Amino acid sequence: MPPVPSQVQALLEALTVTPPLEGYLVVGAFLFAIGAWGALVRRNAVVIFMCVELMINGVNLTLVAFADYLPNAGGLGVSYAVLVIAIAAAEIAVGLAIVLAVFRSRRTVNVDEVTSMRG
Amino acid sequence: MQTVGQQLIITAIPALPALVFLVLALFGRILKENAQYVAILGVTVSLVFSVFALLFVAGIVPGGGSPIEFSKNWIDLGEGGSFPMGVYIDGLAAVMLVVVCFVSLMIQLYSGAFMEGDKRFAWFYAMLNLFTASMLGLVLAPNFIQLYIFWELVGLCSYLLVGHWFEKPSARDAAQKAFIVTRVGDAALFMGIIIFWATTGSTAFEDIVEAAQAGFIGGSLFTTAVVLVFVGAVGKSAQFPLHVWLPDAMEGPTPVSALIHAATMVAAGVYLVARTYDIFVQSPTAMLLVAYIGGFTALMAGTMALVKKDIKRVIAYSTVSQLGYMMLGLGIGSYTAGIFHLYNHAFFKALLFLCAGSIIYAMDSYNLFEMGGLRRRMPVTFWAMVIAGLSLSGIFPFAGFWSKDAIVASAYEEHYYVLFGMAILTVFLTAFYIFRAIFLAFTGEPRTELARGATESPGIMTGPMLLLAFFSIVSGWVGIPEGFGLPIRDYFAEFVVPSEFAQETLNLEGHAFSLGLGALSVAVALGGIGLAYFLYAAKSERAGALARRFSGLHTFLDKGWYFDALYGATIVRAAKWLGRVTTGFDRNVLGGLVGGVGRGALGTGGILQRLQSGGVQSYALFILLSVLIIGVIVGAQYAFLVVALVAVITIAAVAVGARL
Repeated sequence: MPPVPSQVQALLEALTVTPPLEGYLVVGAFLFAIGAWGALVRRNAVVIFMCVELMINGVNLTLVAFADYLPNAGGLGVSYAVLVIAIAAAEIAVGLAIVLAVFRSRRTVNVDEVTSMRG
Repeated sequence: MQTVGQQLIITAIPALPALVFLVLALFGRILKENAQYVAILGVTVSLVFSVFALLFVAGIVPGGGSPIEFSKNWIDLGEGGSFPMGVYIDGLAAVMLVVVCFVSLMIQLYSGAFMEGDKRFAWFYAMLNLFTASMLGLVLAPNFIQLYIFWELVGLCSYLLVGHWFEKPSARDAAQKAFIVTRVGDAALFMGIIIFWATTGSTAFEDIVEAAQAGFIGGSLFTTAVVLVFVGAVGKSAQFPLHVWLPDAMEGPTPVSALIHAATMVAAGVYLVARTYDIFVQSPTAMLLVAYIGGFTALMAGTMALVKKDIKRVIAYSTVSQLGYMMLGLGIGSYTAGIFHLYNHAFFKALLFLCAGSIIYAMDSYNLFEMGGLRRRMPVTFWAMVIAGLSLSGIFPFAGFWSKDAIVASAYEEHYYVLFGMAILTVFLTAFYIFRAIFLAFTGEPRTELARGATESPGIMTGPMLLLAFFSIVSGWVGIPEGFGLPIRDYFAEFVVPSEFAQETLNLEGHAFSLGLGALSVAVALGGIGLAYFLYAAKSERAGALARRFSGLHTFLDKGWYFDALYGATIVRAAKWLGRVTTGFDRNVLGGLVGGVGRGALGTGGILQRLQSGGVQSYALFILLSVLIIGVIVGAQYAFLVVALVAVITIAAVAVGARL
């Protein structure tokens, strides 16, 4: 078995090392930011819902990451994540129902055209 | 000491008219004209009880002979002192009680006919009784607080009664004028009471007298307090310079004028000075002020009465003038004479007003120059008015002579020659103006159809007038001075005496009755009557010629020395100016502030409304931005940022609002 080059050795070690908390947080923040950007700029209601899902999952990632790095919390963060997933499912159910109802009455899912709540 | 039963009787004197007031106020609509019987019953019982009090104090009732005195604690402040409610009846108060009840009874009998058919008949009687009750309560008061309560009640009643015919604008104005002008005096009185209470810790008259003697209060503070109390009396008794309300108060029904002038309202001021006489005598300045205000008022009001066309106003100015006499008497230390005049005045002044009321009832006019020749048409009224006029002028042996002469004589004997001059001149004016009114009304030929059609008033009106006429002659006979030569004791002077303390302080020597001075004052009065006859009865055109010749003087007197114009141009104008300024401040500054905040909120709302676009994504953006801001603020933990932000938003809101 040829000796493994030291660079490869270092790479393998780097892969097996537990990544730091910051990594998870940065990824979570990116997910949230992408979701927020999408929710603000896209017009299609269905896409907006997908972006909201992205934001929710960004938050979920940070919750899980914190749960892993804070053992004293006793895994509370994970249970929160489960809760968030459940609520997200319910939200999507209601939200899509609203989108369907709007589509039926207006033949569009473009949120810019749905402004009947103007003050 | 008195038994509980006797105390109850005394308490009932003011309580009965008050009860009648309640009954009439509650059931007046049902009772209607029957209200008079309830009222007369109440005041008759009060009169009987008052006579009992008089006899008790005089020592005729067994166990009496000393002042009646008892009290109950009303407000107890512990260390801070206490305010009792009580009764104190000495000779002075006893005489006043009887006079007030008697005059009130006469007037209530008379009013039954005079006010017949009035819309608010029962209410009128209710007010008369409240008026009587207030005055009786005031007379009984042993301390300033109780006195002040009834004092204000008297003022309130006069306001309501003067404004009884409030459908007439002039009656409304007169009622307000009476209330506001006397209020000036009331405020001064209250300040005086506060000074006494603050320095002596008591409001009881005798405590204040003792405290002043002991030197707890003295010097200029004491004089100030006494003068303030006197200003209260000036307001109530319509003395210069607060006399302007009384002639206007003639807008009230005539029986009310009689009550105000004879027994209640205006007598309260003189009574206050008499009641607190032991306090007054300790301040020679205040006494001198009382005397000169009184003397000047007597003369001034006498001149004003000379030219009035309205019969009631002649009598009204006469009251001001006579009250001036009383003040003069009290001020120069002749206490008994002053009170004696108050007592006699009550009878003949009530009678004069009832006579005037009788004429008004017969011909529905106040104007003397629309009358004339009423002597044959209204003989009872004529003779009653002549008796009252003679008594007022101080002609021997009518009641007015004894008291008026006592005042005039003591002014001379105490060496107040200026005051004596004023007093003797006023005697002349008094006789002249009252007989001018009598000659104008009753002699000669009727000047109008109204006068031609006048008939005598019904018996229920002439009855009280005759009774009062009787007293206008004889009321003075209880006070015939010892030196006069008649074998009668001077009951009044024995009964109503200043305290020994007052006598010592004033250092008065008794003066024997002076026949010369008495003759002088009667001669002067006869001169006045003679002049009135010469000008108005013998050849009536003489007076008109005289008035035209001295038209400036005539107008000056007719306008009441322009006091109303003076007050109108200064005090009333200043008050109105102040009113306008405060209204302006309220409307522009305060209103602007309040309205500005409101408009600011509205404007801000208008702007913020545009943010409510209905677009889901804009809402999401706001939420995110807000989270961001909150995050920054919480992260910075700089509380002042929050404050600054709120302040900026508020200022912006107000600025926006002001611009809109």
